[in-house]
Amino acid sequence: MAVATRGNDYLQRAPSPSGLADVIDVILDKGLVIDAYVRVSVIGIEVLTIDARIVIASVDTYLRFAEAVNRLDLTQTETAGLAELRDGGGGEKAKGAIEGAKEKLTPGGGKDKQKEKSR
Amino acid sequence: MTGEGPIYVYGVVSSGADVAPPTSGVADAATRLVESNGLAAVVSTVPGDRLRVRRRDLMAHLHALEEVSAQTTVLPFRFGTVLPSEADVERELLQARAEELHELLERFADAVQVNVKATYDETEVVRELVSSNPEIARARERAKKLGDAGYYENIRVGELVAGGLAARRAADAERLQGSLAALASDVAADPVDDGGLLVMKTSFLVDRSGLEGFDAELEAVAAREAPVIRFESFGPLPPAAFVSLGQES
Repeated sequence: MAVATRGNDYLQRAPSPSGLADVIDVILDKGLVIDAYVRVSVIGIEVLTIDARIVIASVDTYLRFAEAVNRLDLTQTETAGLAELRDGGGGEKAKGAIEGAKEKLTPGGGKDKQKEKSR
Repeated sequence: MTGEGPIYVYGVVSSGADVAPPTSGVADAATRLVESNGLAAVVSTVPGDRLRVRRRDLMAHLHALEEVSAQTTVLPFRFGTVLPSEADVERELLQARAEELHELLERFADAVQVNVKATYDETEVVRELVSSNPEIARARERAKKLGDAGYYENIRVGELVAGGLAARRAADAERLQGSLAALASDVAADPVDDGGLLVMKTSFLVDRSGLEGFDAELEAVAAREAPVIRFESFGPLPPAAFVSLGQES
């Protein structure tokens, strides 16, 4: 396989998270709380909740894993269909989900909600 | 300087620390310190009476805390903590909770948080699962023969992979966490969804002086687990996953 084992490829370090999901992990529901009500009701701050977290539907996950199984022996089974699967790999789907979450956090993020309803 | 409007709180430091307030805050507001009882709250005024939260506000909260954390021990507040006025910050927070806050500052002196996320490399872990469970390859063959009609059989392939992952995840997470926990004074693991590639998402409380040792161990663990598991680490961060105040009931 073309995938080389590059030492540092397996550990990425950063002083601070930059991805939205990782930032949420650090500060959204962790840290000191004075009283439960303070955050939510005092001035009507629009508190982000679990909605903002990234949830990938399980069927999508299964199909992604199936694609991964297919990719394993691509060299032996060259079919158009498989090449197509390879191009739409799992990484992109995950990225899409993160973008979606981002939209919910910004004004006018309603578009994403509609997509979910129509499923 | 009693700010107009509600006050957003980032964290609390000891007022003896002589901290420079962060360069900017949530909603681009200027930050400042409110002092009382030997404590200083890092705050900013919320413009208007309603804050529409954006992505950059989350970043601003974290960055403000990091700037302070680079200078002294800071007790981080949860995102979105707002008190009605500066007088409330003094009274309800710095005076009413003075004893607890001083205790926490002492307990978390020089303690920082490192977040470690471990994820299966999809290709590598699937390769291992396929070679250890022949049923996956068989289901895959059936799906291929069915072509477009193989949708459900394809889902079956994915289900088998997900099942295989679920079966090994707990043991993998325990092994990784165990190696790293030896170099931390406390550990807080986030719940991990069984359906994905995540192995563990855990915060470790590490003394600043122990950061290098922790890092070296992380490197060793990552080298040992490659290529099946990949690691990401963030830190040093303020110890948000470990601080807590008693709640008035």
